[in-house]
Amino acid sequence: MPHQDQGQYPPSWAVRLLRFILKHEFSEEVEGDMEERFVDNLADFSYGKARWLYIRDVVGMLRPVLLKRLFSQNKTNYGMWKNNIKVAWRQMRKHRVFTTIKLGGFSVGIAACLLIALYAQHQLTYDQHYADQDRIFRLVNQWSENGETGYWANVHGPLKEVLEDNIPDMESVARVVLWPWGDGGENQIRRVEEDFNHYEEGFFYADPELLEVLEVPLLSGSVSTALRSPNTMVISRSKADQYFPNEDPIGKQMRLNDNPETTYTIDGVMEDFPDNSHLQGDFILTLAERKWGPGTTGWCCTNYHMYVKLRPLADKRIVEQATGAMRNSLIIDKLRNAGQSGLEEMQQYQSYYLQPVANIYKDLEEVGDGLPHGSLELTRLFIVIAIIIVVLACVNFIQLSTASSLQRAREVGLRKVVGSSNTGLMMQFLTEACLLSIGATTTGLVLTLLALPFFNDLTQLTLVLPWATWWFLPTMGLGAIAIGLLAGIYPAYHLTRYRPVDVLKSRSSGRTEATAMRNGLVVFQFAATVVLIISAIVVHRQFEFFMNVSLGYDKEQVINIVGLETMDKSRRLSFKEELLKLSAVRDASFSNFLPVEDAAVQNRSFWVTSRRQIDNGVEAAHWTVDEDYIKTMGMKMVSGREFDKGMDNGDAIIINQRMADVLRLDEPIGTQLTDMFDEKSRVIGVVQDFNFESLEWEVRPLVMVFGPTAATLSVKLATEDVSASIAMISAVWDQFNGRQSLRMHFMDQRFAAMYDSISRMRTVLMIFAFLSVLIACLGLFALSVFMIEQRAKEMSVRKVLGAGVVKIFALLTFDFVKLVFIAIVIALPAAQLVMEELLHDFAYRIDLDWLIFFIGGLIAVLIAFVTISVESLKAATANPIQRLRSE
Amino acid sequence: MKKNRLGEFQELVLMTVIILQDEAYGNEILRNLEERLQERLSMGAIQAALKRMEEKGFLTSVWGEASQKRGGKRKRIYQATPEAMNALQEMKDIRSDLWQAMVLLNPNIG
Repeated sequence: MPHQDQGQYPPSWAVRLLRFILKHEFSEEVEGDMEERFVDNLADFSYGKARWLYIRDVVGMLRPVLLKRLFSQNKTNYGMWKNNIKVAWRQMRKHRVFTTIKLGGFSVGIAACLLIALYAQHQLTYDQHYADQDRIFRLVNQWSENGETGYWANVHGPLKEVLEDNIPDMESVARVVLWPWGDGGENQIRRVEEDFNHYEEGFFYADPELLEVLEVPLLSGSVSTALRSPNTMVISRSKADQYFPNEDPIGKQMRLNDNPETTYTIDGVMEDFPDNSHLQGDFILTLAERKWGPGTTGWCCTNYHMYVKLRPLADKRIVEQATGAMRNSLIIDKLRNAGQSGLEEMQQYQSYYLQPVANIYKDLEEVGDGLPHGSLELTRLFIVIAIIIVVLACVNFIQLSTASSLQRAREVGLRKVVGSSNTGLMMQFLTEACLLSIGATTTGLVLTLLALPFFNDLTQLTLVLPWATWWFLPTMGLGAIAIGLLAGIYPAYHLTRYRPVDVLKSRSSGRTEATAMRNGLVVFQFAATVVLIISAIVVHRQFEFFMNVSLGYDKEQVINIVGLETMDKSRRLSFKEELLKLSAVRDASFSNFLPVEDAAVQNRSFWVTSRRQIDNGVEAAHWTVDEDYIKTMGMKMVSGREFDKGMDNGDAIIINQRMADVLRLDEPIGTQLTDMFDEKSRVIGVVQDFNFESLEWEVRPLVMVFGPTAATLSVKLATEDVSASIAMISAVWDQFNGRQSLRMHFMDQRFAAMYDSISRMRTVLMIFAFLSVLIACLGLFALSVFMIEQRAKEMSVRKVLGAGVVKIFALLTFDFVKLVFIAIVIALPAAQLVMEELLHDFAYRIDLDWLIFFIGGLIAVLIAFVTISVESLKAATANPIQRLRSE
Repeated sequence: MKKNRLGEFQELVLMTVIILQDEAYGNEILRNLEERLQERLSMGAIQAALKRMEEKGFLTSVWGEASQKRGGKRKRIYQATPEAMNALQEMKDIRSDLWQAMVLLNPNIG
């Protein structure tokens, strides 16, 4: 043959490919034809072209009739599958411990993955339920300066009208008041005709247009009339059922805090807000035609959030620009008249931004709005940990399978000798992996079910597994098989590469490449574990630090009695007098303002009167407190005096040190201050700085003014016997206000609640650190079984030649401990980076001292040591004859 | 003209098989057709047509001899079945009916 003489062949890879893809029964014929054609082509074309044409023809073979069918080749051969499954089952039963470890690690991985998928899915569905989804926005302020952009949500009340008149692309505009102002927040409520007050939360003010903008579904009443008249309100279905069982609430009246002026007529019942709505609440009070407070403020103050629905096809960006331009032409003078400063800067840097409603909860723009948000940190943390856990679980599976493969080497050798193909063997092992993964998925589902209540507690959600959906179980099944294949492919490949002669002669076949991979996996596992352990320790210490830091006031044994709105002022004062007569009560003080997060908030700008025109105003928290406040809270005066009932009226103020610093007052006492409403006041004292907001931030300036009573009475107990004290207080309460139950908070608990998110983060980290330790240990255990098995003969020889138990034990453990040390060396800088990132936002934070890292590393080494010792000890104390005899 | 009909390309391959008689194997069919059609075809197209028609029962095949040119691999010689002849005849009848109908409308075509 000419072509063969000249060494001219079709490309050999193409020939192999052809053989690989063709149905077996066609290969001889078609290959022959192809070769003949190649020779024909050689006569007409160059060698290269002929080769190219061959390749083209191979590609042209991709037709269903000609190709091998994957898997279904052995359609009738299900006896083979049955056998595979049977063998797999026997293997699992035989190696119960290994199977349990594999199954356990895998199920934990799957459960973690499922939980986190549920969580992520819930986070993603927030505010996705509106029909006009892409037309609903929240109008927020944007401040761009030096390339940095910030957002905040509060806007001026009269802006609504200006927008309605001047921006035709806005279909409707609705304001809401979501902070405790007027009757917002929590109240005592009752039906007018009844007597007993109930405590309720979830009150907020809104314009009637809100129902339309946010598409609030009304069960009764109509969107066009609800909330349009003064003193009307819309309540939720669940509250309607509670207060008006089997009645139509429409037209009924309810009174807040026993105050006849705050009597509201119900003119709508809405469906409860869904779980995944950023806006929550049960009572919507109207802003329409109000006489005071919410809804009446002018251009002085920004007290509202504003929702906007654009007309269809309106361009968000153009609307934003138009709004900004309108501010500069129409609003700026009004602001000037209202005495606002910094207007030039405002024109330069501040603009409006329409935030899509779906972003509000997720907080992509980090808008300052005081609403609860999906904790991005927590979500990210979850996802990272989920990935680590799943990877660790897979690594473990691979590790354990390759380790146990040594025991199966003979089986593989024998199967090969009697004619098993590599593919057949691979199928056998993949079947095993898939079976195991299906089992693990099942137990993983059970674990998920068991863990869901705790997880819901942790995330404060109500997640459920979507059993009923058509896709859930199929996805689980397919996922199980996919994971099985993925995790099984390496061990299967590894096993089928055993050479039968080697294993049957029981020559060890440990190749260095495989050893390096196994060691690498252990290092990776332990590095991840060490990072998690250290993170857990750091977050725990930070939390403890927050709980125990010296705050500048004493939160212990302080009870806040709330709900005093329903008592008139003199009655409140005599209630306080009565309480002070109790032996259990040391001090008592009226103030709605407390150094914890969910208390009243108010801010004002202040100037030193003589510098009113020169300086920028200093924004300070503005608290109204009575004469016993400082004493009751255990705060310290730095200079000056406390309030005095007899001497002081509205113009006396106490400021904190920070305020004095910011105002640059050397001699604060006696200084005259002016606030944004041009009210003058005189400093009578300076209180030592205390942390009245989260410790994540620095202490802000604070001004206290005198006010004799409030709706909250804080009581400092004189004894540690809290329950007895409460019983006494409760008895006094009943004498004064029998129509309402006593309601109170413990201030230390409210304080702890401020750090809920970090406390939850701590729990998550501890749980997952534990899981990862567990999984890493399983992996290490498997590796130790594997390695020690391989070196058993060596150890026996050493022993016979006189090596002691200790010597052998040390020899065996050293290898592993070395790996763990490498892991620690890698993990420490990584952990330091992660923790610095986490802590650098906190104003008050712990230092990352070396002890934390030392402890983290030590824990890892100890755990690893114990794990390895099990097998090492066994090997070191074994009778050498057992091993040597088999030759 | 029920389910087992011939595709246009299959029809060409089938007729080539009949013409080639004892020489009707893959590469020879391909060469022959390429010459007639004056275009390059792919081996896959020919083989797929052959296998399809064998599935449908229009062709049978037997092993032929091997040659060195084929790298020692045997040929597969194809032969048309009576069903194939019927199908071809049917196609031809339909075509000539259609031609007649066309000529009646426009005598210039004929």
